[in-house]
Amino acid sequence: MTDPQAFREQVRAWCAEHVPTDWRATQADTSETEFAAFQQDWFATLHAAGYAVPHWPAEWGGGMSMAHQVVLYSELAAHDAPRLVLAFVGIHHAASTLLVAGTDEQRRRHLPAILDGEIWVQGFSEPEAGSDLASLRTTARRDGDEFVVNGQKLWASGGAHADWCLLLARTDPDAPKRRGISYFLMDMRSPGVTVRPIRNALGDSHFCEVFLNDVRIPEANLIGAENAGWQVAQATLGAERGMTMLELAERLGNAGLRWLAAACPPGDAVAADRLAGFEIEIAGLRGLCADLVERSHAGTAGAAGASIVKLYYSELLQRMTDFGAELGGVAAHTVLTKPQSSGWESGSWVLDFIGSWEWTIPGGASEIQRTIIAERGLGLPREPGVA
Amino acid sequence: MILELSEEALEYGREARRAFAAAGGDELLLAAEADPARRAELGTSVLAGLGAWELEPYADAESAEAAAALCRAAGHALLPYPVAERLARVGDTDALLVVADTNPAAPIGGLELTWTAVTLDGRLHTAAPRGPVHDGFVRELELDAGGQQSDAALAMGLVLGCWTLLGMLDRAIELTVAHVRLRQQFGQPLAKFQGAQFQLTDAEVERSGLEMLAKYALWSGHAAPEDAVDDALALRAAAIEAAEVVFRVCHQLHGASGFCDETTLSWVSRYSQPLRRLPHGLSATRELLATRIGRRGLTGLYTP
Repeated sequence: MTDPQAFREQVRAWCAEHVPTDWRATQADTSETEFAAFQQDWFATLHAAGYAVPHWPAEWGGGMSMAHQVVLYSELAAHDAPRLVLAFVGIHHAASTLLVAGTDEQRRRHLPAILDGEIWVQGFSEPEAGSDLASLRTTARRDGDEFVVNGQKLWASGGAHADWCLLLARTDPDAPKRRGISYFLMDMRSPGVTVRPIRNALGDSHFCEVFLNDVRIPEANLIGAENAGWQVAQATLGAERGMTMLELAERLGNAGLRWLAAACPPGDAVAADRLAGFEIEIAGLRGLCADLVERSHAGTAGAAGASIVKLYYSELLQRMTDFGAELGGVAAHTVLTKPQSSGWESGSWVLDFIGSWEWTIPGGASEIQRTIIAERGLGLPREPGVA
Repeated sequence: MILELSEEALEYGREARRAFAAAGGDELLLAAEADPARRAELGTSVLAGLGAWELEPYADAESAEAAAALCRAAGHALLPYPVAERLARVGDTDALLVVADTNPAAPIGGLELTWTAVTLDGRLHTAAPRGPVHDGFVRELELDAGGQQSDAALAMGLVLGCWTLLGMLDRAIELTVAHVRLRQQFGQPLAKFQGAQFQLTDAEVERSGLEMLAKYALWSGHAAPEDAVDDALALRAAAIEAAEVVFRVCHQLHGASGFCDETTLSWVSRYSQPLRRLPHGLSATRELLATRIGRRGLTGLYTP
């Protein structure tokens, strides 16, 4: 492979030729179908260049070095490329789960399909199981060589578009709560699966509720051992956090900060002061992400590293988007058309600000991240009285 | 200064809360969002029943306290009607809007009223809405060149708006206290986790500070009119900061449900946005205040 600097030139040339320049405008007022088609096209374009799944092993279509991936993501951000929103769970969570815990047959079936556009959703949270995920109540009862699943999943982002679901369900109701859960691959077209979009404060409906009523899942779609689903999820979640956080940090440092600087009234010392503060924090965030990526690759990452990065990013994001909404004045408040396919720095600042609240909640709420940093990072004792 | 509103004003606020609940409570906002043209019908009869239009907040301090209590109750109830703006009216128009001098806008969509706008230099303008109704009922405004100067109007408009926002913070905290008592995770209510308690206490400290400043600015409007605009701007800056902390905490403790429209917090949060961002956000408000007071500082309670 070329050296990173030569690769950077190569990516820049590719971006100049392939990154659509008008996507923020065309994605601002688009139907769900057009959004899905645009995402599939952009995925195919990236994949043709070898840029869609650089983090996968070479035998499955990836094999890019860490140094090159860092270059790739920083250049995609610098060229303001659309994000892979729909494919995200598939290429990150589903793929890492399959690669770490899947059978050869499961990998052969799904990894090429993900490259062909198979969309995945995560079916973890439930109404009564958010931060306390292990208390989940959806059941999967064995019936011959199938499991029969009943329950309700919540906050399945993008559930309306999904072909497959990463599902956690309780297979042994009598076992301690972390030892009776199994991990399944569930076909979203199975009879008994109902998806209901939930309107959120942004006015959109990408969160979904998924109702499961006597859904039959073949035993072959169990991933890992029966009743070992919690351990599989622990081993696979967060494996991708370093590089995905690095990508998001680059987005925040490029489009996000650049637009804020452009919107900053010249000569306004108060605004300039706050902007300088954000620049410093983003520099810190980039450093933390790069460090996490390198340590994860070398196998020397601390137990709290990923939590520190998520907490740092999400709280910075909230303050930055708040400032964006403030600088943008009335226009930021009244132009409420957030381009789809963007991240949390869409330039529609009020929507980005409201959307930024999501970041301190899913994927382990800030309270959970703080608990991890306290217990596993600093070695402090567990809070008393917690089941 | 006043440390507590008069018993009459407090009772008036309680009566207003009961009246708003009886008129439909949160359903009023849902109905107004579906059809902004219904805002007048949804708000006016209940307000007339409370004698709101007989209040004269510029004329006497007792009336100003009642007006503040009414605005707070309206914020708490998410009443989709510009109560503070109507109570702060001047001259022969129906309502007063505090606006920025560039791109003036206010949450007045759906209402057929006559408007006076006051810019932050205290100049009064005749204002006419233009263009479509945006989210949060916001519409842009066309201002005339402006004439008379009224610091009292500017201060009253700012202060009563902050009382409305204070009512929204009361509501957000109430909703969150109820949520953490009910919501169980890890085998116990969230309320039992000290990490959750401390976040809510931080929010309550902010809200309490804002409440005290709101009373101070209300008092100074009558007792020290020469300081009224400075005190109103200081209150406004504190209100924006307090709202930021309170809504951050309330959203965080509500979890994902807090930004879904099936929870009330999602509505409170969305409709707090125009109050927090118009006429100006925090930086511009601080800048204005700093320019006005220079190195002199606020007069405050203990200046000899």
